[in-house]
Amino acid sequence: MCWRCAQLSRRSLLVGGGAAAAALHTGVAHARVRPEDMVPLVGPGYRPTERDELGLWKEMDRVEEEIAGSNLLIDDPKVTGYLRDLIGTVGGPAAKDFRIYLARIPEFNAMMFPTGFAVVFSGLLLRMRNEAQLAGVIAHESGHFLRRHMIRSWRDQKRKSDIFAIGAMLAGVGGAGAGVYLGDYVQLAQLGTILSLFQYSRAMEAEADAMGAKLIAETGYPPMEMANIWEQLIGEENASARYRGKHRRKGSMFDTHPSEGSRLADLKVDASEITIPGKVYDNHRARYLATIGSIRPMLLDDQVKLNDPGASQYLIETLAQDGWNGLLRFYEGEVWRLRNRDGDDVRASQSYAAAVAYPDAPADAWRWHGIALMKQGRPAEAKAAFARYLTMKPDAPDAAWVRQMAG
Amino acid sequence: MLKRGLIAALAASVALAGCVQTKQFADVQFTPPSGDYKLLVLRPDVTVGALTTGGMVEPRADWTDQARSSIVQALKAQQAARGGNVTIIEHRNSIPGVTEQELADVERLNFAVDQSIVLHKYLGDYLPTKRGKGLDWSLGADAVMLGQKTGYDYALFMHAEDQVASGGRIALGVLGLAGCFVGFCAPNIGGAHQLDYASLVDLKTGEVVWFNVVQAGSEIPGIKFGDLRTPAGAAQMVDRLLGRMKPGKEAAKGVVMRPEPEKR
Repeated sequence: MCWRCAQLSRRSLLVGGGAAAAALHTGVAHARVRPEDMVPLVGPGYRPTERDELGLWKEMDRVEEEIAGSNLLIDDPKVTGYLRDLIGTVGGPAAKDFRIYLARIPEFNAMMFPTGFAVVFSGLLLRMRNEAQLAGVIAHESGHFLRRHMIRSWRDQKRKSDIFAIGAMLAGVGGAGAGVYLGDYVQLAQLGTILSLFQYSRAMEAEADAMGAKLIAETGYPPMEMANIWEQLIGEENASARYRGKHRRKGSMFDTHPSEGSRLADLKVDASEITIPGKVYDNHRARYLATIGSIRPMLLDDQVKLNDPGASQYLIETLAQDGWNGLLRFYEGEVWRLRNRDGDDVRASQSYAAAVAYPDAPADAWRWHGIALMKQGRPAEAKAAFARYLTMKPDAPDAAWVRQMAG
Repeated sequence: MLKRGLIAALAASVALAGCVQTKQFADVQFTPPSGDYKLLVLRPDVTVGALTTGGMVEPRADWTDQARSSIVQALKAQQAARGGNVTIIEHRNSIPGVTEQELADVERLNFAVDQSIVLHKYLGDYLPTKRGKGLDWSLGADAVMLGQKTGYDYALFMHAEDQVASGGRIALGVLGLAGCFVGFCAPNIGGAHQLDYASLVDLKTGEVVWFNVVQAGSEIPGIKFGDLRTPAGAAQMVDRLLGRMKPGKEAAKGVVMRPEPEKR
């Protein structure tokens, strides 16, 4: 039940020519789920009572212990406390039961586990432009729990695999008894079963989107921000693909999630449906930025080191729509420097020069600005930049080397 | 997750015939613990589930609890009979003087080492540098530190999973068997299945001194090879897994704790 999960390889699932035939009757289209229809199915302090759900929860105990003790977690008390408060606000009836963990993984994702604990990847915090967007993703994940998606999809899988197993066995035995070979139909039925599982999964994602939009609107965030997340993500993937000379992948019938485009379109309709004219919505951008400020350099650093210049550049420019600053300019320079194509050194040096003009320029911006000036044959200015670097970071591991450069 | 990968690899390594198989390895100088030793058992990882008609495994909380307490009892009885003093912990914060994080580090390291042992000892990816050396893996300083802090001589890591065929699965197997009379024979759709493994770490040297895998299963649903839920089944499993610890090659020859490598 993640925000956007890894997709199964299409080829691995294509079995003979059955795929095309099965696709005809299964289809890829889905109907929009209306936010007003999304009523939470669990109340506060929910505990399972049924056998299969008890088993699922039991298994999750160890998983949570493992995740809670993982050394990938970011334990900045300010940021983790903020996430806890946020899920406590947009979590609906189960708000006080949720646990939320922040993992240092530079990817855009978040996931909810069956027992009500969520894991948010650090890459998500980098991409969200305001609190409303982050609240939207967290509300989507809460929606999975509130609508009991994990146990429902488990039961759906169990039911369909049971039907398929019995059907296949009956076809085999019955076919043999009647003297006909039904193997082709069994293969087709298997594909149909798989496809209907994926379709069920997409329906749940659509529910969670609608539920999420409803939850954030109720707590005073502009619901349109959920659609904006997809707009940003599609833009980022396009930019990344363009740089690598590829096309962004579009949806297929094997997707566990609805296509990004259809989620965007649905969320836009959702937002216009639930926005109450005259009501004041606040995206709380300032509060968001103030909270993640301490870890933002780390988030940007992890991103630019992914060696995905197309996505990194798009991300930085998107964040800069809310205003450039020294940190963003510095990392813009880092994207060029690490890409290292013709002319990138000049682009990088321009970014570093722009970065140091801001009061919040990080120490490393002064360092690289100094190196760029040195290359341009401007030693006096370079010396000043290095001096500034050493004042800001006197214990830098390369302090001795920089002192020598500065002469 | 990682653990699933290891389990799948182990399951694939032993042929899925309807039988019980064990395969153990020991450090060349290993002598099974006996006399007055202190053994720490770290969070026995036990899961019991039902095998659904369609072949999925449905975890069962009540069965898992039954199995875990049966296994713990069987383990305590077995070790006490050997003179050992055994402590079984359920949570990472239950050892005084050792932080949760330190214990988590040892557990995760052990898991990675176990994966390597499975790859190079069970899956046929043998390493020429380890030929004739028995079990030549170590958890290193972390495990030694755990031993010093707690005073235990050995740590035992244990995993047990059991799948009990559901009524529907058994019926499906019966149907498959019945099909044999009309020419569509599918009796072996897979039934109950149990996989257990354990590794013993010497906390004085940090070395993994002994490793064993037990696999019990039947291709025909309805036929059982031990049931972890019952005290008898759990005792049988503990006996299969830990009952006949073989000493290492050199220890068996009576050359105990000699520092040089073995001579040929």
